[in-house]
Amino acid sequence: MPKEKQKILMIEDDRFLRKIYRDKLTKAGFEFIEATNGIEGTNKVISERPDLVLLDLILPRKNGFDVLIDMKSNKNTKDIPVIILSNLGQESDVKRGLALGAQDYLVKTEISLSEVVDRVKEWLVKTK
Amino acid sequence: MAETNPEKPKMAEVVSIVAHQLKNPLSVLKGYLEVLLTEDFGKINQKQKEYLSDALENIKRMTRIVDYLLDVSRIEEGRYELKLEKTSLEKITQEVLRDFSSWAEASNCQITFKKPKELPEVLVDSLKIRQVIENLISNAIKFKPAGQGKIEITLEERGKNLLFSCKDNGVGISEEDFKRVFTKFYRSEQAMELDPGGTGLGLYINKAIITLAGGKIWFKKNKDFGLTFYFTLPIFTK
Repeated sequence: MPKEKQKILMIEDDRFLRKIYRDKLTKAGFEFIEATNGIEGTNKVISERPDLVLLDLILPRKNGFDVLIDMKSNKNTKDIPVIILSNLGQESDVKRGLALGAQDYLVKTEISLSEVVDRVKEWLVKTK
Repeated sequence: MAETNPEKPKMAEVVSIVAHQLKNPLSVLKGYLEVLLTEDFGKINQKQKEYLSDALENIKRMTRIVDYLLDVSRIEEGRYELKLEKTSLEKITQEVLRDFSSWAEASNCQITFKKPKELPEVLVDSLKIRQVIENLISNAIKFKPAGQGKIEITLEERGKNLLFSCKDNGVGISEEDFKRVFTKFYRSEQAMELDPGGTGLGLYINKAIITLAGGKIWFKKNKDFGLTFYFTLPIFTK
């Protein structure tokens, strides 16, 4: 890992999921920051300028699609890679997420934590 | 005028909401068990590993049930979606057979796969059709006879369609149940005994997938033992 830790923002309302990803990503050498709803998520994207965002879709106050739309329409945040990590796995949701500019779309129950960490590393290299 | 209650959600809607609500806690449990099993935060002994692996297997089983329930609610509400694309049934069948090979061997099941040298591709959702093929072959393995199980998979061209068949020498289904095989939650007496963890939703979902992709699915009782399941899918044309 480089000396300066790369910063991952997880926008997720489930505290248990945040906890396990915090432990896993911190252990993998990243700085982990979190937001528990869509509005807080959008604010932290702007104020914290993370290297990558892990974004849930069903969120209180503002859903993940709207967070993504706002991120991609702001010139300061549009290049931050976004991995959607959701339980919505219908083809139309995946298409919509990718069309709005997410780099990747992962379904929580179908992927292991270690695989998510691998994807985070992959996208950080690809979008450098 | 029919009386309706706008406050009362439909059963499929309730199932869909409950299933979605279950997915997050299942992801959490799965994540915690995976972290413990990868020993990220300290060593665990063999017995602990075994118990945690069993717990993880059961979480995966619950997740499958929840996914099936979501599929059923989407089918009932007409919201089930397929991503139709050019797909090689031969390749998917071979992959499934490879994945199932050690299980089939451990279950004393011999599987053969017959196909012509060249086969055209079909138009279907590749992930969903894999689910159908996995379901048909796993049923044939699970419901094998007491002795050796023999399963014959074939793929052949039939006019504008490809025909897939899966013939087994298994315990079969009583004739009085034939009409219910593709209905949801149907479980034969034998299925309840041999596969107590099954959901009775696999064949119902298979039928929805094949029908939505423009094909047909059916089965026949073999002359000697067991059943043969068939499905057709339209061949891909430009």
